Amino acid sequence: MTTLMTSSTTKVDPDAAMPATGRFAPMLAHPGLMAGAGILIILVLVAVFAPWLAPHSPTKTDLMATLAPPSLTFPLGTDQFGRDVLSRLIWGARVSLQVALAVVVLSLSIGSLLGALAGYAGGWIERIITIVNDVLLAFPGFLLALAIVAARGSSLQSIVLAVSIAYVPRVAVVMRAVVLTIKPKPFIEASHAIGVSNFRILVKHIIPNATPPVIVVATVSAATAILAEAGLSFLGLGVQPPTPTWGNIISDGQTSIVEHPLISISAGLCIAATVIALNLMGDGLRDTLDPQMRRQTGLKAL
Amino acid sequence: MARYLVRSLVQLLLTVAGVMTVTFFLMRAIPGDPALYMLGDYATTDAVASLRAKLGLDRPLLSQYAVFVRQTVSGDLGNSVVTGQPAMTEVASSLPWSAALTLSGMFIAIVIGVPLGIVSASRQGTWLDRTVMVSALLGISFPVFWFGLVAILVLSHWAGLFPTLGAGGGTGLWDDIHHLILPAVVLGVSVAAYIARLTRSAMLEVLGQDYIRVARAMGVSESRILYRLALRNALVPILAVIGVTFAWSLGNAILIEVVFSRPGLGTTIMKAVLSRDYQLVQAGLLVLATAVVLVNTLFNVLYGIIDPRLRTR
Repeated sequence: MTTLMTSSTTKVDPDAAMPATGRFAPMLAHPGLMAGAGILIILVLVAVFAPWLAPHSPTKTDLMATLAPPSLTFPLGTDQFGRDVLSRLIWGARVSLQVALAVVVLSLSIGSLLGALAGYAGGWIERIITIVNDVLLAFPGFLLALAIVAARGSSLQSIVLAVSIAYVPRVAVVMRAVVLTIKPKPFIEASHAIGVSNFRILVKHIIPNATPPVIVVATVSAATAILAEAGLSFLGLGVQPPTPTWGNIISDGQTSIVEHPLISISAGLCIAATVIALNLMGDGLRDTLDPQMRRQTGLKAL
Repeated sequence: MARYLVRSLVQLLLTVAGVMTVTFFLMRAIPGDPALYMLGDYATTDAVASLRAKLGLDRPLLSQYAVFVRQTVSGDLGNSVVTGQPAMTEVASSLPWSAALTLSGMFIAIVIGVPLGIVSASRQGTWLDRTVMVSALLGISFPVFWFGLVAILVLSHWAGLFPTLGAGGGTGLWDDIHHLILPAVVLGVSVAAYIARLTRSAMLEVLGQDYIRVARAMGVSESRILYRLALRNALVPILAVIGVTFAWSLGNAILIEVVFSRPGLGTTIMKAVLSRDYQLVQAGLLVLATAVVLVNTLFNVLYGIIDPRLRTR
């Protein structure tokens, strides 16, 4: 036991030279970042444990109890099909977070790959990627998503694909900027000079340096993905009923909004809470980012 | 300046060509057959084949692309599959409604967002800054269609100040404006939140520059630093912010048109999507993306006029 402890304190790995507390201390001390992370963790728990948390089935209709006012059995009342609104909201967290997660994974992996390629390879590869990026950025993201859903039909996969395509160029732009910032640094040149392979430089230097700014983009794109999914579902082009999503709960509530405003309003508050959490995290991560990196990657323009 | 204009124009043409290409391949490269999709799963093979022939989908992709480019350049965006009318006519007739909504929304957004961002940056850390930033965070986090619904509920249904739905039309200009106010304000406020955040960070960036610190050390008054030195240099980044938010506000306008049941490009595209009118979707996409590119170019030229240093870059 003692030997283990001494060995871990004496043998210092150069990568771990900065102790974890030092690297994460500014993040832990950032109230917005912590608040955002806290809200998000609660939402993830709600989504994961939805089957146990929801008091009723989210899809079971009861025509004897349509548009019931809030009561002990139905804390937020029921919708026009007699479905429990609270249970639908709890299950709706699943769809929103699934979409956000899938979009982040997809747009992050493709976008950072393309961005790194553009920045690292240069030449005509960089030019082509940049032109395609610029053109894709000319499309309003929501419109692009709408068109893809129009061509593919509405489903969870269509939404994920659509929002990801809209976000790949945004990730790629940041990744390219990061690579261009790091590439001319002396330690990269030195690595080249002592014969370190390109792949090793990428894994050991480029990716670790690129991770923080890319994570900032990821949180912002997750927030936008949730808003886009809600918008598409609200228009009836998203996840199809009876699967509950916050977007289609708002749309269901719209028909009776004057008499029963609680349905649409509560679903909107759920969306806002999630997006606020992600934006708080994005803002916080950006604040705690290395200022030089923040400036050079143009992250403040997100 | 002339060379700068020519360069901007060349870039404009290249981007529009890019937009056309992306629109074309986007609508085709996606897995799935649009003809089959339009007719539904129970369509006969013959019906699908004839629709494919009618839309030109049976030809090789590159020849389809050539036809598409030739027609688009001559202003022909194909015919709506549902009504048979030229898609260009349908898009053109809804364009003024969308333009009125987007432009008035952007106007409100700029008038609210830019001053709030500047004030917030110049009083960084005060309660005023915090209030503005928290409101802006709320503004970008609530879905815009939800904002619209709540605005209709509170201001139209409960307070009775505005008409609940539609765009007026027929009963005169005042009626049109009366119908426009609420959707424009909702759009404006949602975009203002975004503009305020970005303006604040653009302003803070400039206020952190060395020449501001030097001016302060030399005893130049705070108001002179803010209005003469900082604001002039922040003008281009602030304009860039407005340019960026334009595309975003077009996306929001689609949802607002639907919530308020207003005619417009968003409503047209929505109907086209629901009726699986794939030609009309393509036409709408092309027109909206081109509008974004045009506005971006306009802003680029504007940067060059404001800041001569940018012309030579």
